Amino acid sequence: MLLVEDEKKTAAFVRKALQAEGFAVDVCHNGEEAWAAALTTPFDAIVLDIMLPGRDGLSLLRQLRQHRIATPVLLLSARGEVNERVDGLNAGADDYLPKPFVLAELVARVRALGRRGGESKPAVLQVADLRLDTLTRRAERRGVFIELTAREYRLLEFLMRSAGHICGRMAILEKVWDYSFDPGSNLVDVNVMRLREKIDADFDPKLLHTVRGLGYVIKEPS
Amino acid sequence: MTIRTRLTLWNASMLLVALLATGALAYHELVTEPRAHNQGAQAAGKSQKDSAPTDLVEISIFCSIVPAVALALAGGWWVMLRTVAPVTALTQAAEHMNEHNLGAPLARTGSGDELDRLTEVFNAMTARLNSAFARLREFTLHASHELKTPLTVMHGELENWLRDGGLTGEQRERVESQLDEVQRLAKIVDSLTLLTKADAGQVVLGREAVRLDELLREALADAESLGRPAGVTATLGVCHQVTILGDRHRLRQLLLNLCDNAVKHNEPGGKVTLDLHRAGGCAEVRISNTGRGIPPEVLPKVFDPFFRGDVSHSQAVEGCGLGLSIARWIVSAHGGTIQIASQPGGLTTASVWLPVAV
Repeated sequence: MLLVEDEKKTAAFVRKALQAEGFAVDVCHNGEEAWAAALTTPFDAIVLDIMLPGRDGLSLLRQLRQHRIATPVLLLSARGEVNERVDGLNAGADDYLPKPFVLAELVARVRALGRRGGESKPAVLQVADLRLDTLTRRAERRGVFIELTAREYRLLEFLMRSAGHICGRMAILEKVWDYSFDPGSNLVDVNVMRLREKIDADFDPKLLHTVRGLGYVIKEPS
Repeated sequence: MTIRTRLTLWNASMLLVALLATGALAYHELVTEPRAHNQGAQAAGKSQKDSAPTDLVEISIFCSIVPAVALALAGGWWVMLRTVAPVTALTQAAEHMNEHNLGAPLARTGSGDELDRLTEVFNAMTARLNSAFARLREFTLHASHELKTPLTVMHGELENWLRDGGLTGEQRERVESQLDEVQRLAKIVDSLTLLTKADAGQVVLGREAVRLDELLREALADAESLGRPAGVTATLGVCHQVTILGDRHRLRQLLLNLCDNAVKHNEPGGKVTLDLHRAGGCAEVRISNTGRGIPPEVLPKVFDPFFRGDVSHSQAVEGCGLGLSIARWIVSAHGGTIQIASQPGGLTTASVWLPVAV
């Protein structure tokens, strides 16, 4: 995959994290280089900073799309405006992440980009003995029915679809609450706590874990 | 009494005095003197026929004073109106001036007189103020933008450190605590950027039909989940069906902010009540909570950025102190008003009035 980021340190740690996830990462520090690289190499995904010296990320993205290069693109931006997000998606981006971001969040989104349109979504999700039927919207653990509010259901579905991977607060706000910005509240935390009471309190082993500073994860007990 | 009235009356009374003096002199010269003369002549045996013209003079002198003074009043009023017009314009302009329209200078008469000079000085002063405000905004924007890159780097490197492993439990704890602080800082920077951009009019809001009652029900669910750990219950009172034009996400943020506050500044076993009334062309959202209330002296300051109320209490309440400033911006950007009323130890109520869609 291709990482286009002019800030050297940011590029270095993002590259490191993506490599740790098993991605092969090429790095470009400006728009011209990135354009040349994208033309010659078929990348699986591009992580593209909007503010670049020379040609900026948005115009590079438009040019890619005009040349029918459909590689999934994740935009990064330090400006973090809602309108910029809309502009980015209109220009042909697949996702948008405002800076400063949680690295785990970026990794999860890049992974999702690769999956996009690929595998079909299973109707029944299962992690250990926790089952979620997305057709009947029924959750049960070890055969015991768990009553969930609409919000808790969406939260559980999102966490279970990303089972094994950390879900950052921003991603949860986006997918479960449909907020494209942080509305400034610990809404996510209290709902996760409540969900944990429902799915983990009376059962062992525990499945829903807090990863401090990064987010939450549902995973098979190791 | 305005300057205009005072000057006009003053001029008119001066004129009256002057006319009276002239009249008295003329009366003496034209009426009294000839009469004495006539009396002398009468004694000498002449006829009284000549007294008629002096009566006429008498009448004309005294009768002309009244219209002359009236004319002076009217004319003076008009002249004064013209003279003080620039001052009136200046006053009105200064009255309507706020930090957002400082850039628009007042029109000058170009006559170069004292008032024109005053306008010029006034314009120069507001231009200086305007550039000071602009510099402040620019500074905050640049600062918050510049802070984002190092924050991203810090966060990323700390995360990589955690992921790489090899840390002892205590080291891990420290790194995680650092991450928490970096995130807190990032939130403050985010809110600050939003407020600064909003202040500079750089945030574009959506304008779609939004069912406020639906958003309120959603906010109720959020208030319930926020309140549960604190033992606070949330209830919905009146909820009229209301549609307004606005930005759905920002309106949701507004309601969430207010509910968040209502829960945070509550007490165990306390209540939060949400209401939505439609009255005429206005939708009124009321979110009230129990708790210790806000002292009247700090009530006007609650919308100020970074205001946290009672210092001893602020430690216990998380948040960056920008929530209500953001709430006020969202409300005013929708053409509405927001108010918070509180009885110490009793109910605290945030009321929001928003114009409904027609």
